[in-house]
Amino acid sequence: MKPNLTLALVLATISCTAPSLRAQETDPAKIASQVCASCHGPRGDSISPAFPKLAGQRAEYIENELRAFRDRTRGDPMAQAYMWGMTSQLGDEEIKRLAVFYSQQKPPRGKPASPKLAQTGKSIYEGGIPSAKVQACASCHGKNGEGNATFPRLAGQHAEYLVKQLVLFKDALRQGSNAPIMHDISTGISFEQMEAVAAYIASK
Amino acid sequence: MKKILPLNPRRATTAALCALLVGLVSTGTAEAVPSYARQTGIACQGCHTVFPELTPFGRSFKLNAYTIDNLPQVQGISSSKEYELLLNQVPPFSFMFQTSFTKTATAVPDGAIPDANGQNGQVLFPQQASLFYAGRIAPNFGAFVQMTYDSQGGAIGLDNTEFRYAKQVPSVSDGLTYGFTLNNNPTVQDVWNSTPAWQTPFDQRTSAAPVPGAVTMIDGGLADLGTAGATGYVWWRNSIYGELGFYRSSPQGFSHANGNAGPLDSTNAAGTIVGYAPYWRVAYEHQWDRNSLSVGAYGVTVKVSPEAQPVGSPTNKYVDTALDGQYQFIGDENIFSLQTTYIKEKQTLDATFAATGSENPSNDLKTFRLGGSYYLRRTYGGALGYFSTNGSSDALLYAPAALTGFANNSPNSNGWIGELDYVPWQNVKLLAQYVSYTKFNGASKDYDGSGRNANYNNTLYLLGWFAF
Repeated sequence: MKPNLTLALVLATISCTAPSLRAQETDPAKIASQVCASCHGPRGDSISPAFPKLAGQRAEYIENELRAFRDRTRGDPMAQAYMWGMTSQLGDEEIKRLAVFYSQQKPPRGKPASPKLAQTGKSIYEGGIPSAKVQACASCHGKNGEGNATFPRLAGQHAEYLVKQLVLFKDALRQGSNAPIMHDISTGISFEQMEAVAAYIASK
Repeated sequence: MKKILPLNPRRATTAALCALLVGLVSTGTAEAVPSYARQTGIACQGCHTVFPELTPFGRSFKLNAYTIDNLPQVQGISSSKEYELLLNQVPPFSFMFQTSFTKTATAVPDGAIPDANGQNGQVLFPQQASLFYAGRIAPNFGAFVQMTYDSQGGAIGLDNTEFRYAKQVPSVSDGLTYGFTLNNNPTVQDVWNSTPAWQTPFDQRTSAAPVPGAVTMIDGGLADLGTAGATGYVWWRNSIYGELGFYRSSPQGFSHANGNAGPLDSTNAAGTIVGYAPYWRVAYEHQWDRNSLSVGAYGVTVKVSPEAQPVGSPTNKYVDTALDGQYQFIGDENIFSLQTTYIKEKQTLDATFAATGSENPSNDLKTFRLGGSYYLRRTYGGALGYFSTNGSSDALLYAPAALTGFANNSPNSNGWIGELDYVPWQNVKLLAQYVSYTKFNGASKDYDGSGRNANYNNTLYLLGWFAF
């Protein structure tokens, strides 16, 4: 017992100060299934619109947002309640691997929207709202909502979640990263227009 | 606090008096603990609609043995990179304090002086105060340990306690989690708020007013016995749950005549479980959008040797079978939930009947509860519920006695509960609750044979509940 106790103490001390020994925790599939899946669903296809779908999301976007949660530069209410705690111990390497893991998952299927809403939403998504100086979403988020680099994939996302983010951007409650761009854009969109464009891109 | 209700039917009357004095009827479910917030870094609303009720994420956290952990760790790692130690550097302790005011429609008679009444309007400060350690204690292994000071008992004791191991099997499609628990009260390990240990709404009740005397084993009788058990469970595809386990007697404060903590014998006042009481639980949950709906069944079979009988034979046998259901809608602004359970107990009273403690060799007892609650912005809320217990009449088991007796020899009680809640911060709850009895211990009028009506026990209960 006594020799092992000494060894255990030494190992424990080393472990506190040598994060590279935490090899097990960097397996992204393990973290995703054991921790993230509780809210974001198995492989990132969440059920509740309170939690965004991550499956097939842009790796660069996920990486940015996880860092923003960890560094507390993104502080909208749900981010504070859940993600500040969840990311507090994540290392840069783990964040990268998680982001890649989710980007490789099969993107979610779209949820059909009512034709009228989808029509209105499509014209906003592809043409913007010139009268309100709102540029077309497609110019950054891609023709089919597939995203581009740090601009996230929107296709197949929960419509309710997308509307909520637009409202948060408009109220300047969501900060960090591309939030200033989104704030300017969403200021010109009415709530009904938000619902329409969200319903359209959620159906893709 | 565990429910402590009359277990041995033969002692229903005197035990019911104890029930009034000792502090009964779920006086403090406290699964919600800031310990978990400290460990995970997640605000209370992550795991709870409003404490103590669990969200789907909260259920998942519990089913995975409370191990989601975002605190710096003290680690021990083997040469094959397996964790041998994983201890939070900062221990996740937390504290709970409850203070309350209780008033009944008509004052309760004085315990010693005839024709006098006790004070009506009881302040308890605290009603209960608890210290918790709750969180991960080893890889894949977590604990929920509650030590409670109860004002009525005036002492600190071990309250609802559970140790749990859980592991995920990722190779199984859509995930399979399996686990084992050690706990001291069947359903304390359950994750739905429709089963007795963590039932909502009305999880908090006064310990300073009369309550109906008859209760089934799984609804509090077993907590009175003092039990310890082990169970194993599986949770598949985030929707299908199955659990099986066994319980033995493990009372606190028992001392054998030889001066040791055991063995349990005829001097065990609570009665002793004979053999291994099996407990089972199945449930199915479906989630869609912001909704979740679960339906389930659970039960326990217990054989008890009462006090003053040799342990082993004769026994009273209780077979409890129950159904339960829960619905939740968790929106950003509005939260609505509904819980219900129906418990049916078959009592075969070989021991009590042989000792002329019961009129019938067997009886049954059934309990039904339905309650719904609503919260706006997790701040302003209310709840409404209906409760009912009915069962076989038995002149010896349910006898008249002032305040706590049964003039009609019937255990039947039913009524309504209403509650208003104000949650100014996520870890502070203020509530006003009113319990209205249509029937109490078998009758509406003169239920005890001494002139007390059921509605005399209608109770106003104000509670301040602080968790930090």
